Amino acid sequence: MKKNLSLPIIILLFWSLFPLLWQLYTSFCTPEALTHPLEIIEHRWTLENYRQILKSDPPFIRYLFNSILLGITTTLLTLVFSLPAAYGLVKIKPYKAKLIRIILFGIALFPYVLLFLALLEIARDLNIGNNILMLSIPYSALSMPLAILLLTSALKDIPSELEEAAKLEGLNLAQRLKWILIPLIAPATSSTAILVFIFSWNEYPIALTWLSNPDLLTLPVAIARIAGSSVYSVPYGAYAAATVLGALPVLLIVIIFQKQIISGLTQGAIKG
Amino acid sequence: MTLILKNIGRRYGKSWVLRNLFLEIKDGECLALLGPSGCGKSTTLRLIAGLDIPDEGSIYINGRDLKNVSPSKRNIGMVFQSYALFPHLSIASNLTIGLKVRGATESEQHQKVSSILTLMKLEDLAYRKPAQLSGGQRQRVALARALLRDPEVYLLDEPMSNLDAQLRESLRPEIRSLILQGQKPVVYVTHDQQEAMAMANKIAVMQKGNVEQIGTPNELYNSPASIFVASFIGRPQINLLPPESGIIKGIRPEDIIINENGINSKIIYQEWLGSSKLIMLDTPIGELRMITSSNDQIPECPKISWDIKNEHRFELTTHKRLN
Repeated sequence: MKKNLSLPIIILLFWSLFPLLWQLYTSFCTPEALTHPLEIIEHRWTLENYRQILKSDPPFIRYLFNSILLGITTTLLTLVFSLPAAYGLVKIKPYKAKLIRIILFGIALFPYVLLFLALLEIARDLNIGNNILMLSIPYSALSMPLAILLLTSALKDIPSELEEAAKLEGLNLAQRLKWILIPLIAPATSSTAILVFIFSWNEYPIALTWLSNPDLLTLPVAIARIAGSSVYSVPYGAYAAATVLGALPVLLIVIIFQKQIISGLTQGAIKG
Repeated sequence: MTLILKNIGRRYGKSWVLRNLFLEIKDGECLALLGPSGCGKSTTLRLIAGLDIPDEGSIYINGRDLKNVSPSKRNIGMVFQSYALFPHLSIASNLTIGLKVRGATESEQHQKVSSILTLMKLEDLAYRKPAQLSGGQRQRVALARALLRDPEVYLLDEPMSNLDAQLRESLRPEIRSLILQGQKPVVYVTHDQQEAMAMANKIAVMQKGNVEQIGTPNELYNSPASIFVASFIGRPQINLLPPESGIIKGIRPEDIIINENGINSKIIYQEWLGSSKLIMLDTPIGELRMITSSNDQIPECPKISWDIKNEHRFELTTHKRLN
């Protein structure tokens, strides 16, 4: 059985990892090496691409910081609103909850790109463009349907007797949430948090339209600017180096929390 | 100091799961709610705890009306069927959390928790998680949690149904003495008549949301108020004879005796019960169960009768007791 599966797994890994590895390879190559991939040339390997983007003005680290800040505020904002919403959804009458879940599901599937012009108008009217923290408002609003659905299914899996026992022990709602319910759904909460963080990390159209100040750009917008910085050529090496640096934080998070992500996403699946 | 339920009613949609329920449980009294599943016994417990709200009637603890009092303010110690221990907390934290929210000082918490752990012989398990404990140990922790806060009322919902039969019997006297020690009203829900008889000094037999009879185990056994109570209490079950002029007679299996002047019967099969044996007899009035000492020699076709004093008579239409 194991032997039969190893070949498909290798193919699958190659299929999904090859573009990433190619990007990594590109980021360490000189321009000559890229145009002559199979020939032997003198200067193949270089750190020049990294040096270039780290020394640009503003330095690339700035965008990394912007995206991390935006990711954290978006994630916190989303959780602060979705946890109570999910709790409420578990407590209200089943037919109402079902209706709301269907609506949320519909919203979660809606192609949000269609909203960016309308959102830009709102940003202009309220004068909240060019502000990294304000960007987390539409981000968390867009993340909330999925977050609420994930957290609801996790809360549903907690036997009702546990919360009842906590009530009889004298715990009020806030104490029950803090000491019993939230710790029990920690795996689902952390996987939700990571999904939201990754959404915010990758988001492009809204960030592109809301931010114009070069100091405030997020990673995807900054990387796209590097790619389009020259009229005559695409600086593949710098572009690849930027994507590698941009992928590192998310990669780290996923490696550290992979156990929680998987158990959080499959939590409801086992009990049916 | 008492727990009083006055004219309690609870309905789901249009069907009543409880109706006209009156109960009074005094300090140091253990009332067992006994009945088949769906009779309303667990609903009664949830209403007392405040986890469910009655549609009719009122509940009083020591004269205080519990209407609009939330479960967390009722000061009730409850043991759940599933034990409902918090899986992410250690045994010690499971016990401490209730004291903490009620504002006990740290030294008070520590002292109370360690004394209850000693009492329940759980000292070595204080820092384990519930999942690392056996069923019997979890049961003790659940009980410890209920005892710890010195509540005004104890509620136990089928506390032993998840344990194996041997453990259940060995725990009965211990639990009984622990919960009665508190000198508080105790309500004990079970579907096991043997357990109810062993644990409670009063039993309420319930059926379809009504209390059929309340009494001591002795009263229920010796003068059951209805056919339902007669057949629910006592194993093997009471023999019910075919109705005769509007009366159904019931005879307990142990009241049937061998008598040369009695009616004819034939043994269908025998069941060995240890010190006694159950004999199934075919008679002109139907099949009858009889219990005798296992040493007795019973002929293949014994003649049987019973003392008329031991007959239970019930009315045919209402199933209520006549004598």
